[in-house]
Amino acid sequence: MSDLLNILLVGIFLPLFPMSMVFNAILENIKPSGLRVIVFMLWPLIGLLIALNSDLVIPDWLLPLALSTSLLYAIRMLTLREVNQWTGFLATSIWSLLWLPVIEGDSAELLYSFAIGMSVPLVLLVLLAAGLERRFGAAYTGLYGGLARTIPRYAGVLVTVVIAAVATPLFPTFFFMLDMVVETISSTPSAALALLLIWLFWSWAGARLIQGLIVGRASNNKIADMKVTSISFYSIVLVVLMLGGIYLAGAIL
Amino acid sequence: MERLIIVVAVLPLISALFIQLFAGRFGRSIARLSVAMTTLSFLLSGLLLALAISGSETLAIPLGSSVAVLLFDPLSTLLATIILGISLIVHLYSVRYMAEEAGYGQFFVLLDMMTAALLFMVIAGDLITLVISWYLVGVILYFLLGQDTRSQTAYRFAFWTLITYRLGDLPLILAAALLFNAYDTWSLTIIFSEVMANPNAHQVLGLPLTDVVAGLIGLAAFARSAQFLLHTWLPYTMDGPTPVSALMHAGIVNAGGFLINRFAPVFIHSSEVLHWIFIVGLITAIFGSLLMLTQNDIKKALGYSTMGQMGFMIMECGIGAFSLAIYHMFAHGVFKGTMFLSAGGVINHAREDDGIPKDELYTFAVEKRPNKVTHPWLLMAAVTLVVPLVILVFAHLLVSEDYFQKQGAIVLLFFGWVTGAQLIFASYKMRSQNVWRLVGLSILSLLIVVLGYVFISHAFDQFLYPDAAFRAQLYSAANIDSLSFDVLVVIVTLIIVSGWGITYFSEQHGHRRVQKSKRLWLNFYALISREFYVSDVYTRLSRTLLTMSSRLNVWLRWL
Repeated sequence: MSDLLNILLVGIFLPLFPMSMVFNAILENIKPSGLRVIVFMLWPLIGLLIALNSDLVIPDWLLPLALSTSLLYAIRMLTLREVNQWTGFLATSIWSLLWLPVIEGDSAELLYSFAIGMSVPLVLLVLLAAGLERRFGAAYTGLYGGLARTIPRYAGVLVTVVIAAVATPLFPTFFFMLDMVVETISSTPSAALALLLIWLFWSWAGARLIQGLIVGRASNNKIADMKVTSISFYSIVLVVLMLGGIYLAGAIL
Repeated sequence: MERLIIVVAVLPLISALFIQLFAGRFGRSIARLSVAMTTLSFLLSGLLLALAISGSETLAIPLGSSVAVLLFDPLSTLLATIILGISLIVHLYSVRYMAEEAGYGQFFVLLDMMTAALLFMVIAGDLITLVISWYLVGVILYFLLGQDTRSQTAYRFAFWTLITYRLGDLPLILAAALLFNAYDTWSLTIIFSEVMANPNAHQVLGLPLTDVVAGLIGLAAFARSAQFLLHTWLPYTMDGPTPVSALMHAGIVNAGGFLINRFAPVFIHSSEVLHWIFIVGLITAIFGSLLMLTQNDIKKALGYSTMGQMGFMIMECGIGAFSLAIYHMFAHGVFKGTMFLSAGGVINHAREDDGIPKDELYTFAVEKRPNKVTHPWLLMAAVTLVVPLVILVFAHLLVSEDYFQKQGAIVLLFFGWVTGAQLIFASYKMRSQNVWRLVGLSILSLLIVVLGYVFISHAFDQFLYPDAAFRAQLYSAANIDSLSFDVLVVIVTLIIVSGWGITYFSEQHGHRRVQKSKRLWLNFYALISREFYVSDVYTRLSRTLLTMSSRLNVWLRWL
């Protein structure tokens, strides 16, 4: 019984449906972007901390549930238009997959590296969504569009961050997904196929998000583009992420 | 010297990085840097190709202490040179063509990144580098096709391309994971040598690993090379800039042929996969050519023409003629690249003067007024059927005496014979004062084409697969039992010859179609004009998925 309760508790932080709804409900009620950043950074780490320190006995149904949760949120992302909500769903879809290395018994160091590497692009996306809200009043796809013409520097950074978040090479989430496919293909081929499907839906949702924001004619209003210092900040974080991804690849592949 | 291959691949990356950082300072002149770097990379790749031709050994070059390995071998050096040659032409063309467009610097960044991704793909010596570069080609192409960020249409079809390419990534990732699990290494050279040494050492779900991996590699190749059912993106991606279309049709779309060639040692030991590859290629070639002929939009017609050519390329792999597929890729790349890049000039010229001479070819091909045939039909039939066969057999005997022992070679000969005969058959019907002169010229051009094709493809064969035993294994892997093969040859011959007979008969006796066959014909035309409803089915499926996603969000209150 206590095992089940433990799993339910961890299932809030390493999302398992329906406990996954807790995270998204909390996220919806947090407005300050600084607080959101903290939540995005700490949430999976809390889950891992509890999971690694509570001698969990993993039941057989956990793997299918984790994969189904991830798949469910990946499918639901396809029609989301609000960027914060989209980021929350992507986080839910990604973090629920952290159950796989937990089940495989990967080292704590590796698990924390995965969690941080996969959460940083989400944090950047939260910051960018806040920037859009400041400029346009909402971070919403299909509402204004044309960011590539209106604020090209901002659009460039946004596109790169979305690409990093949806597991594109050479970012950490890509190597995590590749590692998970390699680890599951022999023991549970169906899990490997599910992972690939989830990965495909992330790309699909990412492309829809990008198209809804950057494509279209330039706005007639003068909107401030991203400052050079901010671009430097995002660029440095993305380069570090990429190097981290390559380092992670060296460790796991 | 072989290590220069690292420089070849890295130069476009350096160029992309430099343009990204300094485009604002140097303005449009930054494109010259991109051209200079591509030229340098092209010259170096040419040098490496010469080295490979001179007989340098295959070399796996590790990148530092990582798992990444680059491969110096005939296939990688040849394809690197082809990619850089086409990329250089596209770069030169784009310097002026894109000058008026917004995002000029960004375009060259993407172009250089695409060149680098393609180079890393062809010289990858390990599965990780191959998967990463294969994946990135699709992502970069998405942004190149969407260069005009105002156009929703461009992005819509760029998305089709992206999603098809992502679908094609999945089997490659699965194949890589399976191979790694079986051989505990990412290195392609080690995996291939172990596969050659003991092909049946591993099984997956009760099937031989080589069969499963070959099937997955085939699927990845189908998505990349627009094979039937995974082709819909190709004819619709014409909203991208012309240089991107040229690069895509001349280079990127050929990646399927490369991938099958790269995994040749696995295909040798797969039982039925090459037959399936042949069938998919054949269906694609037929459907692509059929759809090309019925388009009234020239750009879509070009797209379907590429699809048909990709079908032929995959078919060639399916009969074991792997090196011929590479030659086809090269020839088609040069041909289609030229067509795209000269299209603008031709349209401009045609606006001033249509320049169409009202000659025999025009009356035959455009006005569709064939000459009433008055020559002795027996003589014509003999010339039509015998001459191409004699030319083909003679040409192939010159390069290899045992050529006719291979079923794949017979298929190619058969195809050449049908095409040659069709050419001569058509030339009789053209309005000409001296039909025999015309036929003579047709035969002469056929002779030149066949000799050129045979000698060059033979040279490709010797260069890419110098081991004669390996070449023989490639052909024999594609073989079917002799009886089935002979029966198939007879059936196909009968179909083609009866087609000619029907055409001849209907032209002799006029076109008298009964109402029923006319209705059938119209239904068939409607089916083709809707492109066999393939895109409609996909659109319906994706809409269903999006509706489901939307309903799930409502039911679960967006949490």
